[in-house]
Amino acid sequence: MQLGEFEYLMLTAVARLGEGAYGVTIRQEIEDATGRPCSLGALYTTIERLESKGLVKTSMGDPTPQRGGRPKRMVRITPKGAQAASAFYNAVIRVSRGVAWSATK
Amino acid sequence: MTRIAWWMVESLSRLLDGDEREVVRGDLAECGTNPAQALCEMIGLVIRRQAVPWCDWRPWFMLTSVVIPIGLLLSYATRSWGVTSGADISIYWRFWDFSYLAVPGWRRDVIAVAVRIGSGCLALVGWSWTCGFVLGRVSRRTVGLTVLMFAVAVFFGTMGTVIAGQPPENPSLQYHVVFVVLPRFFRTFLVLLPAAWGAYRGSKASSLPLGPTVLGVMVLASATFLVSHGLERSLVFGGLVPPDPGPDGFLVSADDPRPLWFLSLVMMWPAVYILAETSRERGTRRASRA
Repeated sequence: MQLGEFEYLMLTAVARLGEGAYGVTIRQEIEDATGRPCSLGALYTTIERLESKGLVKTSMGDPTPQRGGRPKRMVRITPKGAQAASAFYNAVIRVSRGVAWSATK
Repeated sequence: MTRIAWWMVESLSRLLDGDEREVVRGDLAECGTNPAQALCEMIGLVIRRQAVPWCDWRPWFMLTSVVIPIGLLLSYATRSWGVTSGADISIYWRFWDFSYLAVPGWRRDVIAVAVRIGSGCLALVGWSWTCGFVLGRVSRRTVGLTVLMFAVAVFFGTMGTVIAGQPPENPSLQYHVVFVVLPRFFRTFLVLLPAAWGAYRGSKASSLPLGPTVLGVMVLASATFLVSHGLERSLVFGGLVPPDPGPDGFLVSADDPRPLWFLSLVMMWPAVYILAETSRERGTRRASRA
């Protein structure tokens, strides 16, 4: 299964958050890791794409007062998703072997 | 400003599915997002959601085979028929005399006008309903946008063109009604509303009954046959196609060439599609029962 960079970031965030993975926490995790803003549009269209590929499963969580009584969309990674993320990670490690990146020009 | 922004966020969120709308609004509330940022986030999400179905070929097929060609033809037809019907009705209204029905030649004229107006209205409603139905059936997820674009094509398709016999610069009320009000009336009540109704019916999963569908297509084909000359002339007198009077040198006579005869087929294709689809669904149901 081919993954894009943002899809990999999301799968990793979902795996790290475990039971607590939903829109707000996933977004926060990605923004903290990359230092870049993550829009709601990118977040939810990617979640839907990953779900259609069978890499994550979503379910409606309970409503909470801090969300104005509205539910969360809980996300959890599937075995197929873990396998795809692992393959992506291994590919990055393999292709990076022997390359030393320097932050300065 | 804040209230307007939240109202826009609220309105835009209605374009999302029910569950997603609640989840996204919950996320915005939990993050304490400010109104301007919430509006940007919502616009971004809605654009992405609306764009997804356009990755498929169906909405593009609908755009190029229904919305643009038939929308433009209906725009010209409604303007032309609105004007000619208005002129006929206003003349009979002003000079009506029951002797028109007593004298055979005059009676024939009255009947011809009534048939022309009636079949024109019937054809407009039928074409528009079938267009809406096909838009709803073939590309359900984009039906709102395609019907909106269809409406734009119908209302603005003739923009920048003039019709032969344009009213004077300071037209009387009667001219205004004939040249402005009636075409808009035709576009709204004989095109847009039937198209919206057809789109609503087409986007529902249930199929049409075969008998009434066959009957409806036959009636529409008859109306199309009766008004096909008028449809072609709406383009000629609308300034889109140069007029060609034929060997006798007179326009609107029997020997005028008809290079646009195929337009009737263009207008009928949604009805033919509906008939084929209804027959196929009936065959599938019978096969599954057997």
